[in-house]
Amino acid sequence: MGATAMTAISEDQRDCYQEITNVAMGQAADRLARLLDVYVILPIPKVNMISASELHMALADTTVNDDVSAVCQGFIGSGIAGEALLVFNDASFSDLASLMNYKGPLDRHGELELLMDVSSVLIGACIHGIGEQLEISFNQGHPVVLGQHCHVDDLVKSGNHQWSQTLAIEIHYEIENVNISCDLLLLFTEDSVAKINQQVDYLLD
Amino acid sequence: MALPVLICDDSSFARKQMKRALPDGWEIDLTFACNGVEGVEAIRQGKGEVVFLDLTMPEMDGYGVLEMIRKEDLPAMVIVVSGDIQPDAQERVKKLGAMAFIKKPIDKEKATQILTEFGILSEAE
Repeated sequence: MGATAMTAISEDQRDCYQEITNVAMGQAADRLARLLDVYVILPIPKVNMISASELHMALADTTVNDDVSAVCQGFIGSGIAGEALLVFNDASFSDLASLMNYKGPLDRHGELELLMDVSSVLIGACIHGIGEQLEISFNQGHPVVLGQHCHVDDLVKSGNHQWSQTLAIEIHYEIENVNISCDLLLLFTEDSVAKINQQVDYLLD
Repeated sequence: MALPVLICDDSSFARKQMKRALPDGWEIDLTFACNGVEGVEAIRQGKGEVVFLDLTMPEMDGYGVLEMIRKEDLPAMVIVVSGDIQPDAQERVKKLGAMAFIKKPIDKEKATQILTEFGILSEAE
C-alpha cells in the first residue's frame, strides 16, 4: 500500500496548521524585530504534503540563483519528530552584520556566527510556538551547518531522502527596508504526520 | 438590543477560536467575515459595532480595514487580534485607530479583560 493514501491533510487541518504557524512565526519575528530593531514582513505560510522531489522545488522556489548558507536542527516530542531547515541568502550578511553591530571581519567564520545567532532565534521561537499551541513540548537537537556559500541544489543533493511524502511548512521571512531574507522549512517525519494531525484535530473539535 | 459583534479573520479555525473566547452569556448578534472587504461591508451594514480584526488577510488586510473605517467614519470599536505581535505592528494599528491589540492565540480570559477594560462588557454580564 502506498504511503500517499494515509498521509493527506484536509482543508480544515491545513487551515489550522497555517493559523498555528502564523502565530508561531509571529512570535519568532517579534524576537528578531526586537533584537535587530526592525520590522519583519510576515507572509501567509505554506502548508503542504510534499515528496522528496518537491522538497527540491520548495527550496529552489524561494532562492533561485543566489548563493545560500543553511542550518538544520532536529526537534522531537510526544512521538512527533522533524527537522527545521533555515536557508539564508548570502547577500543578507552585510546588512545583518551592521544591524547586529558585528565588528569582526565578515569572513566564513563571521558569517557562521551571524547565521547561528539568527537561526537559534527563528528556529527556537517557531518550534516552541507551534509546540505550545499543540500542547507538545519539543526538545531541540544541536544545530548543524549544512553548507555555506552553496547552491540550493547542493543542499538537497547532500540529503539522504528515505521518505516518500511528508508534511512541510514553509515560511519566508523578509526584513523591511533592508536586504535580508531567509526561508524556514519545517519538515516532519513521515511517521509523525498521523500523530500531529491528531493534535490538530483536538484543536478543531 | 443585542450588540452587533463582527469577527473578521481569513482562517476558519481562528474565527472559531475567537468565537469560543467570547464571554459566556454575552448578549450579542454575531457576524463573521473572511477577509477585509467582507469585513468593511459588514461594518457598513451596522453589523460590527465591536470588531475583532485579524491583520494578515487576503483581498484587504486589517490595516486596510482600519483605513476604510477612518475614511468613511464608520461606527466601529476595533480590537485587533493578531499573530504579528511586533512592536511596530502594535504601534501602526493604534495609530490607525484600533482601540486595543490582543496577541493570538486568543482565550476567554484575554477577551473578557479587554472588553471589561473598555466598558463594553458591564460587571453584570
